[in-house]
Amino acid sequence: MEVFNNFLNGTITLFSDPLGILIFFGGVIGGMLFGAIPGVSMLTLAAILLPFTAHLSPEHGIMLFSVIYCTGVYGGAITAILFNIPGAPENAPTAFDGYPMTQKGQAGKAVGAAVMCSAIGGTVSCIIMMIATAPIADWAISAFGPPEIFALVFFGLAVASSVGAKTFWKGWLSILIGLMIAVVGLDPVGGIERYDFEMPYLLAGIHFIPVILGFFAVSEIFVQAEKKAVGSYKAPKMGVEFPTLKELLAHKVAVVRSIIIGFFCGILPGIGATLAAFMGYNEAVRWSKTPEEFGKGKLEGVISSETANNAATGAAMIPLLALGLPGGALTAMMVGVFQMHDMEPGPLVFINSADLVWVVFAAMFFANISIIFVGYLETKTIINLLRIPFQFLAPMILLLATVGAYAVRGLTIDVVVMFLAGVIGFFLRRSGYSVAGIVLGLILGKIGEQTFAQAMQMLHFEWSGYFDRPIALGLLLAGFATLGGSIYGSFFKKKKPAATDPAI
Amino acid sequence: MGNLRTGHLVEGVIWLSLCLFLYAYSFEFDQNIEIYKFGASSWPRTIILLIAIAAIGQLFQHWKYGDDTSSNAMQAANVDDAEDAAHEAHHESLGWYLSTFALLVIPFAYMRVPDWIAGWVAAEGSTLHILRIVCAAILIGLFLTQIKRNMVGAILTLPLFFAALLEDMGFYSLAPFFIVGVMYLFGESRPKPMIAIMALIYGLLMLLFVNILFVGLPVGNIRPFYDIGSWVVTVLQ
Repeated sequence: MEVFNNFLNGTITLFSDPLGILIFFGGVIGGMLFGAIPGVSMLTLAAILLPFTAHLSPEHGIMLFSVIYCTGVYGGAITAILFNIPGAPENAPTAFDGYPMTQKGQAGKAVGAAVMCSAIGGTVSCIIMMIATAPIADWAISAFGPPEIFALVFFGLAVASSVGAKTFWKGWLSILIGLMIAVVGLDPVGGIERYDFEMPYLLAGIHFIPVILGFFAVSEIFVQAEKKAVGSYKAPKMGVEFPTLKELLAHKVAVVRSIIIGFFCGILPGIGATLAAFMGYNEAVRWSKTPEEFGKGKLEGVISSETANNAATGAAMIPLLALGLPGGALTAMMVGVFQMHDMEPGPLVFINSADLVWVVFAAMFFANISIIFVGYLETKTIINLLRIPFQFLAPMILLLATVGAYAVRGLTIDVVVMFLAGVIGFFLRRSGYSVAGIVLGLILGKIGEQTFAQAMQMLHFEWSGYFDRPIALGLLLAGFATLGGSIYGSFFKKKKPAATDPAI
Repeated sequence: MGNLRTGHLVEGVIWLSLCLFLYAYSFEFDQNIEIYKFGASSWPRTIILLIAIAAIGQLFQHWKYGDDTSSNAMQAANVDDAEDAAHEAHHESLGWYLSTFALLVIPFAYMRVPDWIAGWVAAEGSTLHILRIVCAAILIGLFLTQIKRNMVGAILTLPLFFAALLEDMGFYSLAPFFIVGVMYLFGESRPKPMIAIMALIYGLLMLLFVNILFVGLPVGNIRPFYDIGSWVVTVLQ
């Protein structure tokens, strides 16, 4: 009852303030729009808006970012489905089946499923977040230390090695490239310069936004360009037929499974929606009676990925607000908003700024609900982007990506890095490697190394210390079992000819 | 040799050479950290070792099964279509790769060569700016002569060249040419639609990012590009 009263108070505070309403709807539309414009993402919008939040109240600033987070994660699915360009890494698995659906003229159905499932996943996650923040935060604090987080990162990477590449070895090499890129810059323990090649730019490490834009948006343009050059380019077919309620109900098990996966991945600091989406998709394939249909335009692929990544958004706020640990790039920017107002996210926020917390929770709840209404209206408009010939769309995407890469730090070298990543991505993709794997390796690499160092220091450099931590041990063993199974499969199982359906 | 092809061997050699290079470079930062006995190099070296193992594993798999492999249903379902485009385009010959890499050198040449020449002739200030413009003009000319020979290589190079020129010549001056260039390389050759679309895209971007969101884009360091960029910003803001 106390939760309901707090939620009601938060809702009243949110909607009784005209500026709050304006910021809320600005965030909803802005998040969806930037998530949906090929080449830019909600992170671009957040990076652009970050300095301006200094002029807003802390409630409005944090609320704006949380709303952008909810709707932006959904918005990224639109580009993943229509153009094979995920708006963010968490939308990458959506493209596996969403883009083939577009090519089959079922773009509307895929986007419609993304709308519904994003809203369902996000709303349920939000409700659980409101009810369970305190007990879950307590459990996470006591159960998840650096060894468990490192073990979870390892398990996540082991699972992800089976996504997107032609073979297990190519998938694993893709992830290792990402891990290697993450090594560039200062080491997380001693601050020692690594692989900087005496270039000051590399001291701060390679920023993940230009790399993501390059590997996804730019390399996709290059692939389409090659097809155009040889005359094998096929314009995506247009369709605005949304999925029926019956079709969605037929996937209720996938929705529930993805909500559970998404929520538990989202709650863990530094893991967030990306792993949630990959695991949601992986589990959908693993439990399916027809796994061979995935990657060829199966609705369940879109449903699983989009439900899981939006289910992670509510959960990701728990470590941020309860522990002060950001779960990803956007929640890290939220820490910046707190700091600009001389506040620190953490347990004290619940005591000193309870109003702020509940306004944010209410805003996230209504942002997820609004995905259904605004999402449908916006989708009908955005889907018309498919009518634009690709030779006119390509320069627009490339220039938006340029602005997105430059806006992060105001460095032209980031634009060079983005286009270089695009060229490398183009060559790796044509050799059967996975750009999604590289990006996942890059994002989880820094967290992995940092938590590994912390874990080893905590365990006094004794590997046997893992045997005293059942969760960490279980996750490590599950990771090794996944790797072992894949290695065995790559050498000793009868091979199937590779399918040639488009994906990441 | 089993089912191994030259391409597989080249791929393996590239991976193992990369490992060797990265391992050798890791001695540059192989320092002890007082509170961390593994030091700064153990993590990257572990990754290098894993890359080497994966590269050898891949070679072994190719030796056993050749190209006709996909390790499980997940992977089979997610194979990229970029490979097919490469097959269809016959863009797998050594000549094509060499021509493409030669084109890709052009942007990096612009990032290095003017500074080398400036060092030799002790050029500074406006002389250095003129030197940069001349270098850019020569390299653009070289790029234009290669377009017809290797269209895909040109498409890969153009955005990188645009990025390399961005610092000196600015977004505002270069963007219109870049838009037209990309449209042309994508097969559009009608002047009127090209100009109309260029104006539309440029106008929309300026309106959104400069006029509404006040995003600072590079104006360039060299005159007259700097003046053009500053003028556009002044007019729009």
